[in-house]
This record gives sequence, structure tokens and C-alpha cells, in this order.
Amino acid sequence: MKRSLIRMSGLGGQGLVTAAHILGTAATKDGLVSTVNPFFGAEKRLAPAESYVRISTEPIHQRGEVLFPNIIMIFHPHVITLGKCYTMPFFDGLQPEGIIIVNAEGELGIGREDLDKLAALGARLYSIPATAVAVEVAETELATNMAMLGALIGVTRIVTFASLREAVLERFGGAKFVASGTTAALDNVLAAKFTKMAQLVDKNMAVMEAAAEAVQEHSLAAPRKGGCHVCGRQG
Amino acid sequence: MTKQMFRIAPGFEEIMPQEYRDLVTHGPYDRNVGVADLGTFKELLEEHPLCAGCGLALSLRLFLASLPAPADTVVVGSTGCSAIAFPQVGLHNIHGLFGNQNAIASGLKRALKLRFPDQPKDVVVVAGDGATADIGLEMVMHSWFRGENIATVMLDNEAYANTGGQESGMSPRGTVLNMAPTGKKFEKVAMPEIAREAGCAYVATTSPLHARRFEKAIRRAILVARDVGSTYVQVFCPCPTNYKFRPDETLSVIRKREKEGVFQYREYITPQAQEYLAAVEGEKQ
Amino acid sequence: MIEQRVARTAGEVLEPARRERRFMTGSEAVKEAILRSNITMAIAYPITPQSESMHLVGDLYAEGYIPDYFRGESEFAVMSQVAGAAMGGVRVFTATGGPGTLRAFEMFPCWAGMRLPIVCCFFTRGVNSPLSIQPDTIEMAFLLDTGMIMLHAEGAQDLYDFTLRAFAIAEQTDVHIPVGVFADGFFVTHTREMVAVGPPDLKLPPYDPHRSPVPAMDMEGVPVRHMRDPFVMKSNFISYAAHASWQQEVMAAAERSRKYVHQYLGGLLETEDEDADILIMAAGTAVSQSREAIQLARAQGIDVGLVKFKCLRPFPTEEVQHLARRARAIVVPEFNRVGWLAREIKAVVDDNSRVVGAPRVFGGMTMPSEMILAQLKACVPATR
Repeated sequence: MKRSLIRMSGLGGQGLVTAAHILGTAATKDGLVSTVNPFFGAEKRLAPAESYVRISTEPIHQRGEVLFPNIIMIFHPHVITLGKCYTMPFFDGLQPEGIIIVNAEGELGIGREDLDKLAALGARLYSIPATAVAVEVAETELATNMAMLGALIGVTRIVTFASLREAVLERFGGAKFVASGTTAALDNVLAAKFTKMAQLVDKNMAVMEAAAEAVQEHSLAAPRKGGCHVCGRQG
Repeated sequence: MTKQMFRIAPGFEEIMPQEYRDLVTHGPYDRNVGVADLGTFKELLEEHPLCAGCGLALSLRLFLASLPAPADTVVVGSTGCSAIAFPQVGLHNIHGLFGNQNAIASGLKRALKLRFPDQPKDVVVVAGDGATADIGLEMVMHSWFRGENIATVMLDNEAYANTGGQESGMSPRGTVLNMAPTGKKFEKVAMPEIAREAGCAYVATTSPLHARRFEKAIRRAILVARDVGSTYVQVFCPCPTNYKFRPDETLSVIRKREKEGVFQYREYITPQAQEYLAAVEGEKQ
Repeated sequence: MIEQRVARTAGEVLEPARRERRFMTGSEAVKEAILRSNITMAIAYPITPQSESMHLVGDLYAEGYIPDYFRGESEFAVMSQVAGAAMGGVRVFTATGGPGTLRAFEMFPCWAGMRLPIVCCFFTRGVNSPLSIQPDTIEMAFLLDTGMIMLHAEGAQDLYDFTLRAFAIAEQTDVHIPVGVFADGFFVTHTREMVAVGPPDLKLPPYDPHRSPVPAMDMEGVPVRHMRDPFVMKSNFISYAAHASWQQEVMAAAERSRKYVHQYLGGLLETEDEDADILIMAAGTAVSQSREAIQLARAQGIDVGLVKFKCLRPFPTEEVQHLARRARAIVVPEFNRVGWLAREIKAVVDDNSRVVGAPRVFGGMTMPSEMILAQLKACVPATR
């Protein structure tokens, strides 16, 4: 297996740290090697935040930010449109034939010039209305991170749903989790919304499965006259 | 501690210094002595390198004679004149850094409580006005907020004396000292009031002019700290060297301030401490 | 709370017969180490990226594993409080980092001078100004000469092992000085990786204050002032001599710790392909980044080996001199501006123009392996 270097970019409060933790835990349950680390400044809500997940069959030494990812997950359109990101452009360092998954409904907000650069890299671009899926299936925006994980599985099958379920159960129901000081407070909000733990796990899994189905690929080719400007498809 | 701990092994008596032999045979450790008995026992501080007429030196002698349980008392000091005397004190005593005395004492007291749950170990902070009211105020106050079981004794000579007579927070307004060349611009820091508001169970101001009153304040502060909470005693002990009076005038300087009403003897005791003191002091009689 | 058994020897805890592998952050690895360390007190003060570790130690207190724990009012106060506790004769733990380290600084030489076997974790980060909370090891440059033993963890596994072993090293009668266990903030504290931990129901034998070379300040001994610090403030020959010999004794204690660092950590440093043409010498996560770079370099035919420092104080002078004797170049990548490790190495090797103090990354960025690779390439003669 080639090494997967995943960069998740989003805003503080969107659950990137939790998503990375669950993904890394699931990978280890699948018998793979993984390291996970978040990166954030002293700012809080809505400030740029990133999480990095490295998954491999071999030992992983490299630490810190993933500078050359082969998978980039964009949790919020502001990462692209407002540059709320640790790198500019948001796909800086993307490896050839890399994958980008954006949480968006409709327009992705990526300019033609950037699309051309992505096309030159042989990248594959996907979108998922993650927040909409979260609200529809789990009735809370707080499950956006789960929808993003679902989309990732839909595209890559990088970990199994069975391991993800175990990881989610451990994260929300098992031992005390430590991400940053405020994450525990957010957990309480979640726990209040979903009274029963099993229900919480089921809902999270349902969000992931729905998102895995809903993720869509976008063509990076320049649209010919009359072509769709979103997907490039003709007719 | 039992005297057994430091008794001289047979055959070694002659090579031990006289000072040590006196402590073993005539020390105050396992005897119920007080300031009234001074002259009848070997004092814990007998020689000291402080200036002639030093109010602090006199206060230290009285303080050491006032301890309710010298055999189980550890003193935490701080930088300043008193730190120069402490190497000659017959007690375990710690000199940490300038201002962190109450923090060191907090850790020490908690450790001793855990190691000796059935044997009270008195931890007493003895530090100057600079260490207590200026550089260490944050740590002094936080030890009180936390209600640490330690007694804090400030030896207030109203200046940084050891460094050559600079203004401290406890110098009276208007006093001309080094670093206050045109006179101090604010009042003495209201430490007794701060102590009270910070939650001390016992607060007293005293001076070495009245030895028995001094002894009572120290004993009460240490006893209340043992079982109720933090305590504070502020000792007015003026400095002839930096306040430029004759060494034999120290007590009359205190008396003058007392007469003018500038220095007052005060005592604040919480109801809980009151009750506790009534019980232990009643027991003794 | 799990019922814990006191191990008969430290070795039972440090080298357990079985280990369980768990996916955890560096902060959680500290908790696991402290759970097994049988401490009496821990004192905390918040600072990023340290706070999580002391929250977790607080949880151990709440669960009943630690008899006393509280939040102090500043790092200077906390370092004073742990000193007080250690002088009272108990095993204590605390942690800080970056600006917290600097705020507390006056206490560190004091700990060594007072011969206190305090174990403190330092989670390194940038110091002001400008303000940064991100990884940077500059505080270690300042701490090199405080008299403490300094161990540098590469990852969470080291952090777990070094923290537990630090107690065993610090408390030896012929050592009895503080041990700082350093780990790079975020890159270790907040990074989740597999860590193998010993059984949770076994803890270290208790600290024995009677084995201390300086008695506890508990009035359970001779009632004269025990010189936890020497005869200060006296102007005479005996005082100067006492002061000087005391300081030498603190240095000698650090020297004597070498044998215990060998016993418990398997040496002050670790090597891979030590006879290579070019050596990378590094500490902390700069080692991890170098491991990647070495793989890239070997693929390009560059002969490069690795020296990982585990212990920086005492410094592995003879080991470094021996390893350096044949190397064409010694590349020292560091996460700080000043290059203190390169300086340390340059001070002990022959022909120190071979020591390349680069790359250096600071201000919070990661160190790309490619940067190290570029440095390695620059060391290869053009003819090749």
C-alpha cells in the first residue's frame, strides 16, 4: 500500500481534530500504521484549523504538518474563498494524482486558473454537501465531520466501515478523549442532543454511509461552449 | 522529632562544638519553654551577624522562643537580613529564593502532612517586608486564598535593609530612602487587611517591645495554622542602620510610633479560630 | 480506580514482562507514565501545549491515584511548590513549556543546588517575542547549564519511557538532581501514535527520603540547618570553598548519572549506520524528520547515518567524538533559531568545520524532510 498523507483544512469548531482521530484510530484497527496530529493557533472558533492523518503499512517517522498530501479534505468553503488555510493556494503541495474533497453545495469557488493547475497535476476533485447531509441525516451540523469522513471512504475505501464504527464508539462512548480544552464542552452538547450512545454511533454511521453515496466527482477540464461549468459535462 | 535523633554518640562528646553540646543538653526542643524562660535554656539563635540594635534580630530571638513545638517546626525564609541569621538557627530552615517563601512552604507543608499524618509539623514562613509585601505578594496571597496550613510572619523593618536601605511597599509615606529620593509616594501596603480579606483565620500586628504579647501572637498564629487555616503576623521591628537612629533606640522608636498612634497592636480572629483557640488555650491552663 | 501493586524493583515497571499497545497522544503517554510512577504530589499551571498532560494528571488525582494535586498561581510558584514538596521528602511531578519555562527559570538552578530529584516535563514551544504557541526548542538552549539532567524524547513512546525512567535516574543517592524530560510541543504532545505501555496495576517502589544525600527538611534529624544550599552570604574563605565544592558536587552528580542513563535508557544516544560518510546528529522530532530524509537520501545513493541524542545533560562528549572521527560531514537539523545542538557538537569534535548547523526551522513550521535532504546533497562532493 502506498502511504496516504491526508490534510484536513477547515475552521475551528468543525470537528477536524475528532475526524482525524477517528480516521487514525480506524486505520490502526484495520491493522495499518497511523499517526494523527492537529495544528491550530491560539485562536478559537472559525479560525483556520488543520488536522493531519498519515496512514501506511510501514512505520511513519515524519511529524507535524503534511506538506505534500495526496488527499486534501476541505471542511468549509471559506478555506478556498477566504484563504482560511495554512497554505496558499489551499492545494499547495498536493502530490500528482492527488485527491481533493470539498464540503460544498453547488459552486466550489475554485478559479479556472487553479482548476487548470489541478488538471495538470492529474488531480481528482470531489464535492460533498457534508453539512447538508449532516443536518438531513443526523439533524445537526455537528456531524459535518462525519459526512466528510464518509465522503473520503466513498472515494478511497481507505479504512473499513466496521473499524470506523469501533473508532466512533471508542471516541464518544469509551475512554476520556483529549483533543483540546474546549472539545469536551462540545461533547456535552452532542451528548445532550443524542441521549443514547448507541443512537449517537448509529447516527454518525448513517451520516457516513449517506455521504459515501452522495460524494460526486468534478471534471477539471475547461468547459467547451455549452458545457456545464460545474462538472464540465457536455449536453 | 525525638531528642534521640541528635544525641551525641558516646565517646564523641568532646569533638562536638560547645554550641551543639549545649543544644543537646539545654535546648528547648522537648521542653515547654517560652519567652519568660529566656536565659534558662540554650536559645535556638544565640549568635547572629545582624547589626547592633537590629529590631529584626530581637524579634527572631523572641520568635524562636515562642514556638509551640520547636522539635517539629520547619522555618521557610527568604532573601533579606533574616536570611543571614538563619544559618545559625537550630531548626531545619530553608532559604529558597526572593519572594517564593510561601510557595515553598505550601509544597513543604502538604508533603509533611502526607508523610506524618499523626504528628503535627509546623511550617512557619519568616520573611521581610520586601519579600512578603512586594516581590512575593502574589505567592503570599495565593497561599492564603488556598488556605494553606502555614503561618506567615513578616519582619517589617520598613525597607530593603540588606541591599542598603531602599524603599519597600511597607515604608511609610514620605520616607526618603534609596530609590525614593524625594520620599515615598504612597502609604504602607495594608497587609493585615489584605490578609483578612484573603481568608486568613488569624491576623495580628505586634512588635518586640512587648515580649509576652509578641509570644502570644506567634503561638496563636502557629496553632491556628496547624488546624484551621492560614495565619499572618506582622512584626514592626525598625532598622537603626537604614533609618539612622542609634542602636539603643530601637525599642524607643517603636514606643514613639505606638504613642503617636501610627503603629497599633491589632488582632483579628475568625469565629472558627476563636473556638479552636479557646479549646487549646483552655486545655493548657 | 484500578488496585495497584507496588513493584519490588523499579525494573518491573520500567521493563514490564508484557506491554499493551495503544493509540494515544503524547499528553496521554505522560498520564500513563505518571499512573505507574507512584508520585505523592503533582502541581499544575496551564500553558499551551502542556496543559492537556497536567489535566490528565489531575484526573489521576481525582480517581485516587495521587494523594495531592493542585493548580499553582504561576510557573515560578509551581516550581517553588514542587521544590518545597521535594524538600519535604516526597516524589513530585510537574510540567511546563516555552514562556512557562522562562517564567519559572530562577528555580531550575535552585533545584539542582538543593539536590532535589524533581521530574519535570518540558513541552517546548516558541518564546516571546513575537508570540508563538508553536513548536520550537529554544528554551532548551537556556536550560543547558542549570545543572539538571536533560532527556529529549523523539515521540510519545520515548516520552512515556523517559518520564518513568527519569524518576529512577533522578532518585539515585549518588545523583539526586532534577531530570527534565523534553518533548517538542504539538509534534509530540498532540500527535496520536501507537505507544506500548506496561500493566496499569503495577507502580514504582516509593521514594525513600532516607536514601537522599541531603536530608529532608522534616525535623526528623539533627536540628541544625542542613545546607540544602551552601553557606550563603558569608564573606570568608570557608564559605567560598564550601560554595565552590558544592557546585562541583552538583556537576559530579550529573556525571555520575551517566551509568544510570546507560542502565535505564540504553545509552545517552542511539545510532544507525554510524560509519556512514555523512552523519545526521539530532534530538527530538528533528530525529523523526531526519529518518524520512535518510530514506530519501539512500534512494539517491547518499551514504548517511543517524545519531539520535536521548540525553543532552550530561552531554555524550566521548561518544560524539568517537562517532565523528571518520565522518566527512555532520549535519545538525534543529527546531530553533540559535542552533544550540550544533554549538554543543562543534565544541567537542575535531575539525569542527565539518559540522553543518542546518537546516533550522523556527516560528512554528514543520521541517520538511526535503530540506534535510538538500543539506545532505550539499555535503556530497561535486565529483561524485
